[in-house]
Amino acid sequence: MTTTFPQAPQPSAKELKARTNVVRQAWRFAILNTKMILMVSKGHH
Amino acid sequence: MARTVIMGAGIAGHTAALHLRRMLPKEHEVVVIAPNSKWNWIPSNIWVGVGQMSTKQVTFPLAPIYKRKGIEFRQALAIEVHGEGSADFASPHVTVQYTDEARAGKTGRIAYDYLINATGPKLNFGATPGLGPDGNSWSVCTAGHAEQTALAFEEAIAKLKAGQPQTFLIGMGHGTCTCQGAAFEYTFNVEHELVKQGVRDLAEVIYITNEASLGDFGMDGMNFGTKDGIVPSQMFTESLFEQRGVKAILSAHVERVEPGVAHYELLDGTKGEQRFDFAMLLPPFRGVDLKAFDAQGNDISDQLFAPSGFMKVDADYTPKPYEQWQASDWPSTYQSVKYDNVWAAGIAFAPPHQMSKPRQTPNGTMIAPAPPRTGMPSGVIGRAVAQTIAERIKHGDTARVHTASMADMGAACIASAGTGWRDGQAAAMTVFPIIPDPDKYGEQGRDVKETYGEIGLSAHWMKVMLHYLFIYKAKARPFWYLIPE
Repeated sequence: MTTTFPQAPQPSAKELKARTNVVRQAWRFAILNTKMILMVSKGHH
Repeated sequence: MARTVIMGAGIAGHTAALHLRRMLPKEHEVVVIAPNSKWNWIPSNIWVGVGQMSTKQVTFPLAPIYKRKGIEFRQALAIEVHGEGSADFASPHVTVQYTDEARAGKTGRIAYDYLINATGPKLNFGATPGLGPDGNSWSVCTAGHAEQTALAFEEAIAKLKAGQPQTFLIGMGHGTCTCQGAAFEYTFNVEHELVKQGVRDLAEVIYITNEASLGDFGMDGMNFGTKDGIVPSQMFTESLFEQRGVKAILSAHVERVEPGVAHYELLDGTKGEQRFDFAMLLPPFRGVDLKAFDAQGNDISDQLFAPSGFMKVDADYTPKPYEQWQASDWPSTYQSVKYDNVWAAGIAFAPPHQMSKPRQTPNGTMIAPAPPRTGMPSGVIGRAVAQTIAERIKHGDTARVHTASMADMGAACIASAGTGWRDGQAAAMTVFPIIPDPDKYGEQGRDVKETYGEIGLSAHWMKVMLHYLFIYKAKARPFWYLIPE
C-alpha cells in the first residue's frame, strides 16, 4: 500500500544545479542565517 | 541561600542550568539530576545512524562542564517528587536512584526550593510489540541506538553490494508518534548514502508515517511564503519524495513489528503489512515514570501529571473539539498547576492538545501525530524558566515572570537530506509562530513572510554549523550565552 507522488512538481534542471552551486549556496547561506537570526530574536522575551 | 534542582540534562534542563548559574550569585545552589553521564546533541544522531559521525562527535561528559561552572551534578534517575516534604523529611524534595558506578541502585533525597522538571520523554517502545532495538527494528533516538543502527545499515549495504536487493522501512512505529522530522531526515540520509555507495538501484526506500499527508510534521503542515505565492509543505515534501524515489505509507498505525515485517492499520481500517530488510522506526513518547506524593505520602501523581505522564502546567487542558482549539490554550510560564515553585521545561510539559488533526480508524485506533517537540523551543523555554526563577530568588515573589509561549515563538528546523560539503542537501524550514493563530495571522495562521522552506547545499552547511555551534554552547565555552537557543 505504498504511495508515490507523480503529480508533485519537480525542480527544473536549472533549479537542481542552483541547489548545489557553491557560489549561489554561499549567498543563500548568508541569507538563511540572517533570516533565522531575525526570526529567533522575535521569540526571545 | 536557595537551591534550584533541575531534573534532566537535555536541551531544556542543561540550558536552564547554565543560565541559572550565570544569573545567580554563587551562594545559591544549582543542582542537576540526570541518569546519563553524557550530553547528546540529538539532531545529529541521524548522521551517527548512517555511519557519518561517531557517538563521540555528538556527546560529551557532563561532569567536567558542571564542575567548571559550579553546578552540582548527581548522576541519578529522579523517581519521586515530594512537593510538600514528607513525614521524615520536612523540605520539598526529590527522591532519586543513583546510576553512577559508585552508587548504582542506591536511593537518596535531594531537597529543593525551586524545581524544574526537564526529564524529556520516555521512549515508549513498549507501545508497539516488537518495536525497537530490543525487538525487531532500529532507532536513532539516542546516540547508542544510532550507533547500533549504523552497524545494521552497514550490513545492509554490504548485502546490496553482494547483489541482494534490500528494502529499507523508516518512519513512525505507532499511530501517536511525534518527531516526523527526524524520520524524514533519516530516510533521506539513508537514500543519499545508498546513492553514494552506488547501490541505490537495488534498494527500495519506504517511509511509513502516521501523518495524513506528507509535510504534516505533526503540526498540520505549514504554508511557506515564497515570491511565487504560498507553497504548502505537502507539495514541498512530496516533490522531494518523488525526486528521490522514496515511497510512502500514509496515515498508518504500526501495530506490531515481527522479524522482517511490520504490520499496520490504515485510517480506513484496512490492515496491511510491509516486508523489510532494515527498519528504523521511532517510538511514541510519554512522560517519564515519575510519581508525586503529598506530605502524608498519598500518591498525587494525577494532580501533577496528565495521563500521558507529562507535567500539567499553565495550559488550558479543557477537552474541546479540534475546531475550537486556540493558540491561547498553550502554556507561557510553564509553572506547575499544583506548586508555584515547580516548572516543566522542554518535552516534559503536557501539551494541551495536538496541532495535527487527530483521526480515528473505524476500529477505534487513534492515528494522531503528537506535536513536534524540537530543541529550539525546548531551549527557549528552559531559559525563560531559569530567568523566572533567578528573578524570584533575587527579588521575591513580585519578580517578573518570563514567558515563552509556542504561540509567540518561531522555530527553525534544518532537516538533513544527506551529508557532504559539496553534495550534501537539507531542507531549511522556519515557522512563525509554532502554534498557528488564525486570530492574529488570518487564514494561514502564521506569518507567511517568516514561514518558509528551501532545499539546498546551504541548508546542509547550516545544519553542520548548528551542530558545532550548539555543542560549543552546551560546553559553556567563552561567551556561550550569546548564542541564542
